[in-house]
Amino acid sequence: MELTELAECVTSLSCLVTQSAAGLTIGMLLFLVASGLTLIFGVLGLVNFAHGSFYMMGAYFALAAYGVTESFAAAVLAGIVGAALLGLAFERFLLSRIYGQDVLMQLLVCYGIILILDDVVKIIWGADFRSMGVPDSLRQPPFIIGGGVVPYFYAILFAITAVIAAVLAFGMGRTRFGRIVRAAAINPGMVGALGINTTLVYASVFAIGAGLAGAAGALSAPIRSVVAGAGVSILIESFIVTVIGGMGSIGGALAASLILGFTRSFGSIGFPLFVEGAMFIIMALVLILRPSGLGGRRGS
Amino acid sequence: MGRDILLAGMILAGFLGLEFTGLGSSGLLDFAIRFAIFGLLAMSLNLLIGTTGLVSFGHAAYFGMGAYSFGLLMQSGGWSIPAAIAVAILATALLALVVGALCVRLSEIYFAFLTLAFQMLLHSLILSWIGLTGGDQGLMGGIPKPGFWGIELAKPAHLAGFGMFCLLLSVVLLRQIIRSPFGAALRMLRDNPDRAGFLGLSVYRYRLAAFVIAGAFAGLSGVLMSLYVSGAFPTFAFWTTSGEAIFMIMLGGIQVFLGPLVGTAIFLLLNDWITALTEHHGLFMGTILLIITLGLRKGLLDFVMEWRAARRRAAP
Amino acid sequence: MSFTLPRRAALAGAAAITGFPRLGFTQPRQPIKVGVPTILSGRVAQLGISSRNAMQIEVDRFNAEGGLDGRPIELVVRDSRGTPAEAARLAREMISSDGCEFLLDAEASSGGFAVHEVVRETGTLTLHVNSETSSLTADPRQRFWNAFRVARQGIHDSIAGGDYASKVARARNLRRWMTVAPDYAYGRDTTAEFVEYLKHFHSEVQVVGDTWPRLFQPDYTENITRLSQGRPQAIYSCLWAGDLVTFVEQASLFGLFANSAFFAVNMADYTTLQQIRNLPRGVHSGNRYLKNFPNVPGNLDFATEYNRRFNTFPTNWSWQAATAVRLLGKAMRDAGGTTPRAVAAKLAGMRIESPFGADGHVTMRAEDQTLVGYAIGWGVTIPADPFIENMQPSNWADIFRLEAEWKRGKGWN
Repeated sequence: MELTELAECVTSLSCLVTQSAAGLTIGMLLFLVASGLTLIFGVLGLVNFAHGSFYMMGAYFALAAYGVTESFAAAVLAGIVGAALLGLAFERFLLSRIYGQDVLMQLLVCYGIILILDDVVKIIWGADFRSMGVPDSLRQPPFIIGGGVVPYFYAILFAITAVIAAVLAFGMGRTRFGRIVRAAAINPGMVGALGINTTLVYASVFAIGAGLAGAAGALSAPIRSVVAGAGVSILIESFIVTVIGGMGSIGGALAASLILGFTRSFGSIGFPLFVEGAMFIIMALVLILRPSGLGGRRGS
Repeated sequence: MGRDILLAGMILAGFLGLEFTGLGSSGLLDFAIRFAIFGLLAMSLNLLIGTTGLVSFGHAAYFGMGAYSFGLLMQSGGWSIPAAIAVAILATALLALVVGALCVRLSEIYFAFLTLAFQMLLHSLILSWIGLTGGDQGLMGGIPKPGFWGIELAKPAHLAGFGMFCLLLSVVLLRQIIRSPFGAALRMLRDNPDRAGFLGLSVYRYRLAAFVIAGAFAGLSGVLMSLYVSGAFPTFAFWTTSGEAIFMIMLGGIQVFLGPLVGTAIFLLLNDWITALTEHHGLFMGTILLIITLGLRKGLLDFVMEWRAARRRAAP
Repeated sequence: MSFTLPRRAALAGAAAITGFPRLGFTQPRQPIKVGVPTILSGRVAQLGISSRNAMQIEVDRFNAEGGLDGRPIELVVRDSRGTPAEAARLAREMISSDGCEFLLDAEASSGGFAVHEVVRETGTLTLHVNSETSSLTADPRQRFWNAFRVARQGIHDSIAGGDYASKVARARNLRRWMTVAPDYAYGRDTTAEFVEYLKHFHSEVQVVGDTWPRLFQPDYTENITRLSQGRPQAIYSCLWAGDLVTFVEQASLFGLFANSAFFAVNMADYTTLQQIRNLPRGVHSGNRYLKNFPNVPGNLDFATEYNRRFNTFPTNWSWQAATAVRLLGKAMRDAGGTTPRAVAAKLAGMRIESPFGADGHVTMRAEDQTLVGYAIGWGVTIPADPFIENMQPSNWADIFRLEAEWKRGKGWN
């Protein structure tokens, strides 16, 4: 434990700025993935254990698109759309058959998907890790704010993820589609009885969730390695976020993601060897004390 | 219930026979010991999943605990194998008691996640406590295997025999447990916890007991594993091992007593064949998994039993 | 002498069960089967793939030269997926079911230890080709007649690295150091040893902080910010492959390398070098595999041939695997057969010509059955091919002396 270092950091503006910026960026990327996961659970009642694979596929699609077009925007778009379409296919052909079945079935089907996708990716792109690299246009010197270092690309990432989060919030809160989705989460039978095509709703929700994960994968492709199995650690973290935030609560996911982001960034200074353990302990505490999480409905 | 055991036994023998074709005699021994290890792990987990209705994602924690406890005891020297096994099982049961006490109050998905969280915590602990466990390298230096009661576990034939004996003993014990009033109570808890509560059964205590018993048997399978590889590795307590155990139960059947054993045989068979034939292990395993879960929608023996039951009903 | 088939199989079965090495009841021109348990999938798939590729090149050459009295080597390669228990099972399966007479164990460290225990029991002659953990051969408790290591060792690299870094530190007055390394046995041991030898050669060095990301951690932001808070003059890292690429890409965004010299022992690997888009200039790196160090024709030929066949460049694992095949092949020829004891006797102390050797040769040291004399050096990065310049070869005399002290310190004489 290095609490004196932590105290020093919190009281020094440059350290505070650097670590906070880092925590925000980590948290927002995590939020993208976790929001998809919690949305899918909230509406479809499905624990998408294969969510990390959509993150991975988003990164690979982005890599492929960037290789062809040299455009970051095209890469991100390819990641989102590609992951969403893939998610749609899986939902229609595989996952829709196990709606309502117990969590064991869901686990096994998703496990199968993970195994297959990891191998497919190896066959198409090879077993080696790949790196997209930050595009030259985005390779500007970092911002120095109050003595703290905020990389240019991270600021861009934060801006993009904030926009996506805002669109998500608007879409869920203000549009007709969003209202239908929220209703379907509470009472799918009623929604169906009202003449709304629940199949379409389910399919689009899954596609959106997968697309969000794909977006996170595509956005982080320039700075992280793209490799088979890249989805695993992000999956574990997004599960922790979903549990802490409450399964089905997007607002809870945002809060939890930011908590985790800050735990990572300040934790690496205060308790560097125990950051992993700290996250699992928070998750365990939430499950023991308030299983429905920060934002979840009590007793759900 | 006798006929389903017979039928299960025949199907099991069939799969085992398939595996043995083309194996040298020591390949047979290898398969026997692996079958004992994973079969026991799967059977222990099914006490939780099939009989009590508790889906645990973190069962491998007890597998790992058993392996490491036994390995550390034997490496410290001065322990006889039976004594070390007993202590390892006890230590594992204790761990299951502590973790179970916190987990079994929760319902379905939260229970699953909390067991997973504790398992990953144990895994992190194993990785970071390098001085004790060797970290990611595992327990190094081998495990001494002094003879006891005329058995030399250093010899593969003896180890295979001992493993099968432990499996058999455990299967008999589990059968007794399941057929006892305790087992009946567990089944009632699975099917209708409210009714059980109204009847005055402490849901919490029964579930905790099941959790501890299942953990103890998993600990024994961990002991066998550490004898087999002469060490212990962090992957024993990783979620992939839990996942494989669930896969085996699923393959064979949850509702039939010997289902997990059949599933283990199928799983080992598939694993060995696929590894020997191709590099694309994930592709084939994943596809087979999808076919079984989406096509059959239940384990093999469950499917067979239901088909037989349907036929019996259809017959005039 | 001819045995009927069932009796031969029964004898082989009995031999396998009782743990004796298989006796050579095979007919002439039957292939010599060599088992290769390795990792062909997952994050470190490249380890197995590049090992297998290099072995294939060497085996093809060996067979083209006539093999061993007309008997070709046949490789049996299987994927353990990085699971040690699976590695153990594969090793046993190869020995008993597939009739492999030798093993070229291309597992990483933990799988390597698992296979080590298996062959301790079966007595199969085994060459570990990828395990770099020193204790595998340095610790006498791990040593037995039929296991050899043909790979670089952590301790050698640390002594060499410490020596080189101390010279740079003296020249540029780099006193404040920090380290960033993956949190597992290799990362911890290698970093500790590097720091020990850095201080041994230049006692005024101070390590003011360290950070330990998880192996395969996707994001290093928190580690990088911690490093930049510490304001070190120099940073050491033994991160490798994808992790190193990610770290360098992210650290560049923070401008970390503008203020701190960077010593990355695992940078000089083509897969890594080619993936970093804007390779910073002047990063100090050890050599994993470089086609121009040693700058001999044999090395360049090896790289060219490998590239022609597999469309990529060799890795550290490749040269190690190739060397293992050459050693095994020569040992078999010198022994005139495949009897394990005889081949092992020839291997111990064997010195062969090698394009990967510091002085044109490498030696299988008899005392602890591990490879020595391979080329170790450090240099600095440049943004284009050949990627590293100013390679300073390390002095093996120093390495031997300090290694001996280190072993004495551990009680491993």
